[in-house]
Amino acid sequence: MHVLIINGSPRVKQHSNTDKILESFTQGIKENGSTYEQYEISDKKQWEDIRKAYYSNSNILIALPLYVECVPGLLMEFLETLSPKGDGTRIAYILQSGFAEGIQLRCGEAYLEKLTGYLGCEYAGTLVKGDNFSIRFFEGEMRDRVTGPYKEMGREYAANAGFNTDKCKAFTGYEILPLHLRIMLRIIQRTVARTMFAKVARSWGCTRPLGYRPYQ
Amino acid sequence: MILIVNTTSDISITGEIKQLAAKSGIKPEVIETAEMNISHCIGCNYCWLKTPGECSIKDDYEMILKKIIHADQLWVISNTALGFLDHKGKNIFDRILPIATMYLKFVKDQMRHVPRYEQRTDIGIIYRGEIDREYLQRWSERAALNFESRSLGVFGTDSIKEAVSCMC
Repeated sequence: MHVLIINGSPRVKQHSNTDKILESFTQGIKENGSTYEQYEISDKKQWEDIRKAYYSNSNILIALPLYVECVPGLLMEFLETLSPKGDGTRIAYILQSGFAEGIQLRCGEAYLEKLTGYLGCEYAGTLVKGDNFSIRFFEGEMRDRVTGPYKEMGREYAANAGFNTDKCKAFTGYEILPLHLRIMLRIIQRTVARTMFAKVARSWGCTRPLGYRPYQ
Repeated sequence: MILIVNTTSDISITGEIKQLAAKSGIKPEVIETAEMNISHCIGCNYCWLKTPGECSIKDDYEMILKKIIHADQLWVISNTALGFLDHKGKNIFDRILPIATMYLKFVKDQMRHVPRYEQRTDIGIIYRGEIDREYLQRWSERAALNFESRSLGVFGTDSIKEAVSCMC
């Protein structure tokens, strides 16, 4: 199988969490001899090539971060330029987010199924998983721990031409975090997490408190 | 204050709203963005971690953002595409990130960002064109969670009277 992969993140490739996820995912795809070509929505110079590839490929995978409960504006702008295909082309999606719980992504997932219909294609499922905010701040082993599991999902996708398997559905993890985790996270959010965010902010050259109100 | 952001170039919509609202003694603040330069959100996270509360993109959205933080209601008027808001309408929502902080908390059983300001802004949508209305309703309720507010509803341009009746 040959797959057209579109990274739908508006963030430049170098810092794109979605791209790091795809790095791992595509290793799994390649294992059984499948091939792929990948493009970035963040680079408008590629749009004409992506359009051509959209019309000439029958297996498409769009990977995207959740932006305000749905598709990022920039990806929407690109999708608006496409015509419906109506030739049995299959589109699958990787939907990822910073928030950890599956429930946070369901509204976005529901749209992706509808979107596929508007593009005149067949829906091949969405791989839904959150808790990815930290990817850009990690390197090496720490990053692999977050992105590594996507490799197995790449194998699954290549074997089933989509994400409609129980294994892929289970990949989401918790729909809502159980009470004991919420209690633990509440403590972390008020302590360790704040220290970590402040540290990252300082390394980015931030000189103000993170709760600063510039317009008041 | 009621803030109306018209991302379409059809000023007859805002004309009708102003006229109907005036009858109820309401004077919404209207921003026409058709001729403005408003980028998409590039997801740089600067508004959370580098210049807290400030977007790194210096375009016409900054002025809108400054008004949103004082608005009781934000109404976005948008064309539609692929059953949803078109990218211009969606960009108004995507660029809202500076009103949230990096900090996280639980609201009921779901994680949310801690708001930066005290003001809570309810959101309403007026759409122009074909749309999956039921989905847009669902989406607007989820989107309101990001404002820690509520959705005022979604209305087609043939139901402007109903939308205006929610402006108070």
